[in-house]
Amino acid sequence: MSQLALTAEQHVDAPPAAVFALFGAGTGAGWLFDAVCDRVALGAVVTLQAPMFGMAAGAVEILGLISAVRSPSRIEIRHDQPWRGRLRVHVDPDGSGTRVRLIADLDDAGLHWLMRRRGFSVPDGRVEGTHPVGLLTSKSGSASVFASATENLAAMAVEEINAEGGIRGKPVRLIVGDDATDPRLGTIEAWRLVHAGCRAIMASTTSATFTRAARDLRGADVLMVQPVMNEGGMGGGLRVQLGERPERQLRAAAAPMMEVAGGRRWFLAGNDYVWPQVVHSAARRVLADHGGTVVGEGFAPLGTRDFAPLIENVLRSGADIVLSSFVGADLVHFERQCHAMGVRERCRSLALALDEPTRERIGDDAASGMWGVSGYFEQLPGDLNEAFLRRYRAAYGAFAPPVSSISESVYEALHLYAIAARRAADDDAVATARELHTSHKAFPRGMVSVVGPETMQQRLFLAEATPGGFLVSRAG
Amino acid sequence: MAADEAFDALADPVRREILTLLAQHDECSAGELSDRINRVGRTAVSSHLRVLRTAGLIAERRNGRFRYYSVDATGPAQDVIQLLQELFQGSLDAAKAAVESGAADPDGSIRRAM
Repeated sequence: MSQLALTAEQHVDAPPAAVFALFGAGTGAGWLFDAVCDRVALGAVVTLQAPMFGMAAGAVEILGLISAVRSPSRIEIRHDQPWRGRLRVHVDPDGSGTRVRLIADLDDAGLHWLMRRRGFSVPDGRVEGTHPVGLLTSKSGSASVFASATENLAAMAVEEINAEGGIRGKPVRLIVGDDATDPRLGTIEAWRLVHAGCRAIMASTTSATFTRAARDLRGADVLMVQPVMNEGGMGGGLRVQLGERPERQLRAAAAPMMEVAGGRRWFLAGNDYVWPQVVHSAARRVLADHGGTVVGEGFAPLGTRDFAPLIENVLRSGADIVLSSFVGADLVHFERQCHAMGVRERCRSLALALDEPTRERIGDDAASGMWGVSGYFEQLPGDLNEAFLRRYRAAYGAFAPPVSSISESVYEALHLYAIAARRAADDDAVATARELHTSHKAFPRGMVSVVGPETMQQRLFLAEATPGGFLVSRAG
Repeated sequence: MAADEAFDALADPVRREILTLLAQHDECSAGELSDRINRVGRTAVSSHLRVLRTAGLIAERRNGRFRYYSVDATGPAQDVIQLLQELFQGSLDAAKAAVESGAADPDGSIRRAM
């Protein structure tokens, strides 16, 4: 792939070892050296808080991992958000001091993303002769954590669909929009996908974005699918909601969690938008049915980074289990702070949106004592999943972010859409939606059957976070 | 300048290589650029330079029979490149300030959070 390579350089009056030691140490050494990572080691995840659009606009999180390290001279970071690229730091002796060089690769996708965020209009190219499908995802903001592998898996599905001949002889072309975890921006991006010619949009975003965009695009003749776990209630017409439902997740996990925790008192804590709110109201019903009690509840807006007051309430409540309905980076920060403040010694934590990339960023230590419940985990046995993961790693390499229920659901949704679109008589969105309501296929997570506009039948699994991954058990 | 023209111009790997070289050096002559780009000949480099100039991505300055090229300071590509360049340089400047002001431990034995 052709890329731009940008470089920066600086001389520092200190030996290389002193400069190298700054990396990840949190000493106020700038956004790059203040990289957030638990270890400076091969494969360790890294978050860089880059003030990309000025301090006032807040930092953009660059999410990646250390792909090469040689103390005290080299660190290489591969990142997936907000674009896929590589940052190389060279630390070399220079007289009595050190020469530091930073080399950054920037590809088309990165350049396009930056230009759009700077307000330039960037064309999506010609769609004639193709079947354009939109992917609305989160390249920045809290949701970019769980969306790390989403674009990779969407591209993989499109490649497979096109290898099977595309849709009515035309190759599917994926056009990507970024909501930046902001429903208002998400709606603008959804309209961009419509204007680019997309007849369908896979909205793999928070429900906050999906619900706003789905309402705003009412007048557009576009099929909108929400593949990821969601609260339902918007299905019908040109809106299809797949994914896990909170009530089923909770029914699968409630009893085993109370057994593991050795107690029945729950604290409900989550982000302040539609999905966590529905999760909590479902939890009150489900827990009552299972003899559990709710001893406290708290919400925090998306993008919160200091959860101390809320965690103090958790500690005061005497809860045995925290139902954590935060998402993405908010879930990462909440759980790391829970760990630091001693919540783990007293409570177990069930997080419906706990998935592989999020667990990885919470870290092995802080994630211990956490459980997730969803239709897919990388560890699931089976030939289909094994072959799927092999193809993913072959295409994107060992340093690509892990696959999760959230990203795998987009892969499935695109395949289900292709089946439905091929069965529909023409490119009519209503006919495709109708076909999608009765589609089914065996996927890496197992057999999946769509029943109507907002029900997807699938198995659910309860999974305990362990160092490096999850210990998965069948839940229902 | 129309952004779509810029993107057609950036679609070619040689043109991207030229832009990278110009982003790293303030200004290059056509000859200097040809010497650094080995995969195509002098004539091809000239025509790529013309495409980049037409798309508004690079600026041309003439001095006698020599022509000098630089990234156009007013285009979207330059805007984004400059933004990143300042961001990267700023991170290294902050690291230098931290070490030289003694904020960081000089023997490299800083304790990690976890």
